[in-house]
Amino acid sequence: MTYDNAAQHGGPARTHTCPWCGLVTDGTSLSCPACGASIDVGAIVTDSGWTELPGRRDMAKLQFGNSFCQIEGTYVPVADFNLAPGDGVYSAHHVLLWKDPQVNVSAMSLKGAWKRLFAGLPLIMTQAVGPGHIAFSQDSAGEVIALPLQPGQAVDVREHIFMVATLNITYDWFSTGIWFNTRNGDETETHYPLGQFMDRFFAPQTPGLLLLHAAGNVFVRQIPAGHTILVKPTALLFKDPSVQMQLHFEHPAGTIRSWRSWGERYLWLRLFGPGRVAVQSAYAHLHDNGRSITRHSNATRQQW
Amino acid sequence: MKHCPTCQRTFDDEKVFCGGDGTRLVSDAPPAYAEQQSVPPQQQSAPPSSWPSTPAASPSHDYQPPQPAAPQYQPAPTPQPESQHAAPAAHAGPLERIRCEWCQAMNEGTALSCRACGAPLDIKNLISESGWREAPRIKDMTEIHFGASTCQVEGEIVPVAEINLGPGDSIFFEHHVMLWKDDRTPMSVMPLQGGIKRALAGMPFIISVAHGPGRIAFSRDATGELVVMPLHPGVELDVREHAFLLASHHISYSYIRIKGLRNILFGGQGMFMDRFVTGNEPGLLLMHGYGNVFERYLQAGESIMVEPGAFLYKDASVTMNVETQKLTSGFFGGTGMNLARMIGPGRVGIQSMYVHHHTD
Repeated sequence: MTYDNAAQHGGPARTHTCPWCGLVTDGTSLSCPACGASIDVGAIVTDSGWTELPGRRDMAKLQFGNSFCQIEGTYVPVADFNLAPGDGVYSAHHVLLWKDPQVNVSAMSLKGAWKRLFAGLPLIMTQAVGPGHIAFSQDSAGEVIALPLQPGQAVDVREHIFMVATLNITYDWFSTGIWFNTRNGDETETHYPLGQFMDRFFAPQTPGLLLLHAAGNVFVRQIPAGHTILVKPTALLFKDPSVQMQLHFEHPAGTIRSWRSWGERYLWLRLFGPGRVAVQSAYAHLHDNGRSITRHSNATRQQW
Repeated sequence: MKHCPTCQRTFDDEKVFCGGDGTRLVSDAPPAYAEQQSVPPQQQSAPPSSWPSTPAASPSHDYQPPQPAAPQYQPAPTPQPESQHAAPAAHAGPLERIRCEWCQAMNEGTALSCRACGAPLDIKNLISESGWREAPRIKDMTEIHFGASTCQVEGEIVPVAEINLGPGDSIFFEHHVMLWKDDRTPMSVMPLQGGIKRALAGMPFIISVAHGPGRIAFSRDATGELVVMPLHPGVELDVREHAFLLASHHISYSYIRIKGLRNILFGGQGMFMDRFVTGNEPGLLLMHGYGNVFERYLQAGESIMVEPGAFLYKDASVTMNVETQKLTSGFFGGTGMNLARMIGPGRVGIQSMYVHHHTD
């Protein structure tokens, strides 16, 4: 939480800079109108530098364009949009919770349907245009992350994390390049610890609002240039496009290199700064069959 | 000065315990209430104007004068833009009553939570701008009363409902939600019609009944909220199958077949819904909603489209029909999206985490 008393310098009376999204307001409302963060609660930063997703009041209201979004509930929050005429949002169709009958929902075409089909990504995005109410929620306990994107800003999101975005945000996806092969007899299996693809959201000209859903709690960290950090692949939520990734393997010392010795390995995702990364505390179990890795993408290795 | 009631030694006022035997010291000064009683009644200061001398006299806007509980559910009040917190209990007079905003029951002015449903009385309803009101978050260890029994809600993430059954009271429930019970709590089985139909539909074949006196506790297997619904006489409530946790014996239980093949196949809740009906006496119904629970009152003819898996409960007067919308995507043909159209009048309850978690 940052308050600037500019009156002493001849400026406006008082301003408040949201620690989460950076929006500058007069600080008179209870929550940030761009991301919903409570403005009377300071940023919670761990000793190691992770910033916890700021607290959000129940029923916090966000504004984008002429429309509003109200975040309701705390266990499995609902994003309730009040769309103004001409404003619209898109989402995966399975997160739709309820809508006014007059809100028209249609399909949004996506490129590369074959690849998406095989990668397990949703084939169809649905879009809804105002006026009217429409609400979305995910099916797991956690937090809704509001990411206001400024013109020219982009963010990379791990698959199945995305919830809703405004129509002025473009959607694209790219191969993560994070994989390894294991061999079982004559069969070779390819694993994607991070998923085969990542979503990329970009606000080309006008500001937009991106809502993600994370399981458990959310923590964000800024990695300086030249620094690196290891995270569990399934815990990654989003990152700036400037953050690079590769695999990292670790093996405890003293394990017998039998045919099962790879079962004691640790699979990490190494992230290189500069840029912002976010993780969730309740991550999906990363299944590792423990078989020998025959090939893999760029990786580092450490033997304890 | 203070003195020890055991050894009668005297001590200074700042001492708390007797240095000889450790007994808590008693002040020699006369108790405060004695001073108050010494003041003649006619010299007592008048209460603040906002405190009515009698319940019927100029009640403050925060409180309602005592009156019998509303026999029927009242529609939610006008939506409020932001939550507003008040502390009515702290200002209530001895004879005032506080109306619970969730179940409309009247409570003593000093109560912190509703006696009938456990909703905190110092927090107003949270209502979204679109008209959904959030089910009240029941504080840990809140006690709810029904008949000669009590229900204590324990925990907040996956709450437990612990019932202390009074003599003559009983509750019924699906057997898989039982968490623990006293070994001497009497149990029986509720006779049900259409057992084969229920078995084929995947509904519980047996509804268990626990009789007082004794303790028994219930919980479900996912993060969510306990929805406490005191049912007034003459209410019919339809509940998604497997969503009810327990009900008191004053409520009659039946089930209704969902009409229409589309509703059965794409409604996301199988072939049957539970129906709970109260006769001449009120009853208590507890449900468990996955995630957060919201309720909205639909006016006659008003409709809303709801994800079928999110449906939790509705008044029997609300009709529900599943409609399919085709979403095409060129070569792949697309997919269909099924939504339930709920048409008023009546209440509709939804849960925000709508994957059905099987417990078997």
